[in-house]
Amino acid sequence: MQNKLYDTVIIGSGPAGLCAAVYAKRAELDFIVVEREYLGTGQIAESECVDNYLGLYAENGFDLGEKFRSHAVALGTEFYNGELTEIIPDNDIYKLIVSENELLSKTIIYAAGAKHRRLNVKGEDEFSGKGVSYCAICDGAFYKGKTVVVVGGGDTALSEAVYLSETAQKVYLVHRRDSFRANRALQSRLSSKENISIMFNSQIEEIIGKETVEQVKITCNDKTEFLKTDGVFVAVGTTPESEVLKGIARLSPGGYVFAKEDCATTARGIFAAGDVRTKLLRQVITAAADGASAVYSVEKYLGMH
Amino acid sequence: MSVNVDNENFDKEVLKTNGIVLADFYSETCGPCKRVSPVLAELEEDYGDKIKLAKINVNLDAKLARKYVVGAVPTIVFFKDGEESGRIVGAANKSEYSSAIDKMM
Repeated sequence: MQNKLYDTVIIGSGPAGLCAAVYAKRAELDFIVVEREYLGTGQIAESECVDNYLGLYAENGFDLGEKFRSHAVALGTEFYNGELTEIIPDNDIYKLIVSENELLSKTIIYAAGAKHRRLNVKGEDEFSGKGVSYCAICDGAFYKGKTVVVVGGGDTALSEAVYLSETAQKVYLVHRRDSFRANRALQSRLSSKENISIMFNSQIEEIIGKETVEQVKITCNDKTEFLKTDGVFVAVGTTPESEVLKGIARLSPGGYVFAKEDCATTARGIFAAGDVRTKLLRQVITAAADGASAVYSVEKYLGMH
Repeated sequence: MSVNVDNENFDKEVLKTNGIVLADFYSETCGPCKRVSPVLAELEEDYGDKIKLAKINVNLDAKLARKYVVGAVPTIVFFKDGEESGRIVGAANKSEYSSAIDKMM
């Protein structure tokens, strides 16, 4: 593998990376998909329900991801399990250091996605996996009949609050602003749940407990209070996985990789696809579209069009 | 060998078992758990009777999870002769699990 020169290396196996793999196979490119998470399909695997992907209504996120992956696998996609730690430009090609091995490629489709944004408060690290969670469908089972706090105001936070309200006795939804940015359908579902209390203009200051989470310290309209809870679900958005591109391609102040619809970054031969790219809307369907566009751009770059 | 374990039979199947037991705390709604499941099945084949896999569905039995301070799934808790010797929280690849097993042998 070490001396082989690929047409492209796809970084990431979420919807953008897997769609790029499907298009790259159809374009007969010589490529490999590098994935950090074993058999991963990206953030989609943590969605209870995806009901806005055309043609696949109310699909479980994990199952949808598996369908994407099966499609790429059926076409003969090769995967490489490892973490990309460095990209080294070398004349007209790139050296990619992946878990201490080296891959050589003419181009890169960078679809590394985004990771959960952390609250960055005292106690978050200490109680991670012991009451602090970033995935309600994964860890919701621990809170049957209990009290939980969900933090955030977007689609994910509201989805998680609604999901948890089915089994938890009480859900507090803590949001730092005075209104939600989640879609209206979710806000309607939220308002129908009697065991969810909404706390606007509120921020978690500290997560407190002994072996597991016991309470949170919250400031609400400049007042401090302590709220007893068994768990804290953090859903305050995502941050792009773009660290490795620093100094190579231009990034936005938020760390997203500058690229338009053609996915071309400021680095020749590197194309950004999916949630990691500067874009208007980060959804499964727009990520998949990016995967297709990125491959088209790679073909053009390689002189195949 | 794989057995379904709950609060009732945990002592017998895990704590009083000589040798290596992998206690797999999982939930059927958890995507990463679904990914780990076939990996654990492969490990069972690879190691044969040298390891025992104890499956604990946290949807059915949260007591055990609380007792062992498991707050995220999948969590694999490794036991040797009834004593915990380590754990892996979150989905890992096969080599991480097998190296944890090898260290206990």
